[in-house]
Amino acid sequence: MLSCVEFLAEFGDYLDGAAGPELRAKLEAHLNECKACQVIVDSTRKTIRIVTDSDSFTLPADTVEPIVTDVMGRIRQKKL
Amino acid sequence: MGAMPSAGNAASPAYSASVEPYAFVPRVFAAQQALPKAIQAEQRLIEAIAAQEGGLSRRHKDRLFWTVASVWGHDCRRVTGPDTSCDETRNDSALVAFAQKLARYALLVSKHDVEALKRAGFDDREILEAVQTIALGQMLCTLANALCPDDERQPASEMASAPFSLAANVEYTETPGPYLQTKAVTGYPIYPLFRQQFGFVPNIFVDQMLRPDVVEAEAEVLQQILIGEDRLSRIQKENILLAISAANANTYFVAVHGQILTVLGVPAEDSDQVVQGEYPPIMPAADVALLKEIRKLALPAAASPGKFDSGELQAQGLTQLQIVEAATMAALTNFLNTLQFGLGAVPDFPPHRIFTPKDLHRSAAPSRLTVHESQSEDADTPYVARVQNGDTDAFEELVRRHSRRVFSTLAGILGGVDDARDATQEVFLKVFEHIGNFQGRSKFSTWLISIAINTGTDLLRQRKPYEPLDEIADDEGFRPKQIQSWTENPEQLLAASERNDLVREAVLRLPPKYRVAVLLRDINQLSTEEAAAALGVSIPALKARLLRGRLMLRESLAPHFIRTENRSFNAQLR
Repeated sequence: MLSCVEFLAEFGDYLDGAAGPELRAKLEAHLNECKACQVIVDSTRKTIRIVTDSDSFTLPADTVEPIVTDVMGRIRQKKL
Repeated sequence: MGAMPSAGNAASPAYSASVEPYAFVPRVFAAQQALPKAIQAEQRLIEAIAAQEGGLSRRHKDRLFWTVASVWGHDCRRVTGPDTSCDETRNDSALVAFAQKLARYALLVSKHDVEALKRAGFDDREILEAVQTIALGQMLCTLANALCPDDERQPASEMASAPFSLAANVEYTETPGPYLQTKAVTGYPIYPLFRQQFGFVPNIFVDQMLRPDVVEAEAEVLQQILIGEDRLSRIQKENILLAISAANANTYFVAVHGQILTVLGVPAEDSDQVVQGEYPPIMPAADVALLKEIRKLALPAAASPGKFDSGELQAQGLTQLQIVEAATMAALTNFLNTLQFGLGAVPDFPPHRIFTPKDLHRSAAPSRLTVHESQSEDADTPYVARVQNGDTDAFEELVRRHSRRVFSTLAGILGGVDDARDATQEVFLKVFEHIGNFQGRSKFSTWLISIAINTGTDLLRQRKPYEPLDEIADDEGFRPKQIQSWTENPEQLLAASERNDLVREAVLRLPPKYRVAVLLRDINQLSTEEAAAALGVSIPALKARLLRGRLMLRESLAPHFIRTENRSFNAQLR
């Protein structure tokens, strides 16, 4: 049985659904017995969901074209 | 499209009774009268799924049909009878909640939803039957949408009419499938048919072997609708399946039928274009019009632009019968996609493309690409080549395509919007200056992002010279401190702007090394391989940074999302 420290070092692929069957079985055996790691897995998944769905660093849609115009303007100016 | 002419009693009353909530079914069959084999196969499928009594009760199936129809806003009626009135048992509630999620937000269904049904007392066979019933409902509603558009509709349920948003009251957790026990059956009589047609037995059918009679009926539907050539060719039908599966963001069917198209002689690049909603230049105009229009028949969660209109297709020269056959193929695709989403069938081939919920509601966001795709075709290559040959104008398209991703990477490193905007311009100027050195060993976007990271890091160093990106020794010994349960739907606790601020502050507090890993994977949605390549680190190193970054973010966000009733509970690590 894995310790919590070992579990926390290994569960990255499990979060991404990329753990192989053997690793998954080991991790799930620990999870079945460990409330603390269940809480960490659940809250980390929710963290990923919140971060993935956030628009914290999204370029506002109306800013794209001004950037394109500025960049192309500077490039064409340099070429002239 | 106007309603198709009636064919009289094309539908057997017995089959109609099996799907009683759907008053439109006889009219759907009437509209398909020119495809008698398809009708026969559909009726057999209805018989196997809806009429056969076994695990799930008829009352439960009726509730499932009703739920699906309400999601689509279809003409449906609640079935009345001694068992159904005001019977809101716990089982029914769990089943209805599952049906709403699978019908409306199919991509978000995970193993946890299936486990919730098990906790409510349903066994694997009953859950399989629930998924099959919901999938059948989706198929019939698709047909009604396409073939009986003039039918009176009821207003869609509140859930159905809400704009698609991950902030809605639905969970999404990526979980590995399959979700139900599979019954290992070898030498089953139907298997040779699959091997003959596909060269293998697809997992989507193996995962249903608790109901082999339904699999047989599905094989018949495939034979009559997909494989048998009628007004449309097999390749045209496979392309419909591919286009709608892509609109539904179904990784499984895009992977499997992309492969089947390759076996049928269609270049992989052509199929990739269909998946992207861009069409190969050699594809006939009528086929392009067909695929564009047919995508509008995707499942309710797909961001389908507008209502299906057969008039557009008739204008391109397609016959009424071709249109009916295409709509039938679309309905079959929604049936198969729903089965897969509900059962978690694992792709039989490594997917070129893995879809995420962002593919449904944010068309500009690229899906996670696997190594295979990142090493194959790069859609930027033609533009890069033109710029390298002196065509400055071609660079404009590259700036337009990638400015969002470059900006968000820089905003995540630098923090300020103005700084990030200025740095974005600097990055593109550098890229233009050095594009002659780009030799295509990686994807252009990977090279571009690596330049963005270096530019952002250099600017950060000018501000904080003692905080290097790649030299934080404290990799060992990180132990989570906040070990209290989170509320079920943390997104609902805060308004979107508050959540954005919270995430922004938490990400910016991360040490740069972990911050960039999170930015590339979770915010910019790069694959692990692409993110590792952009950072110039190994895949295990990228994974370690990402996990650490995610755990640190979790610590920062936890105080806002811990269940209030549990604040006193704190589990201990062992």
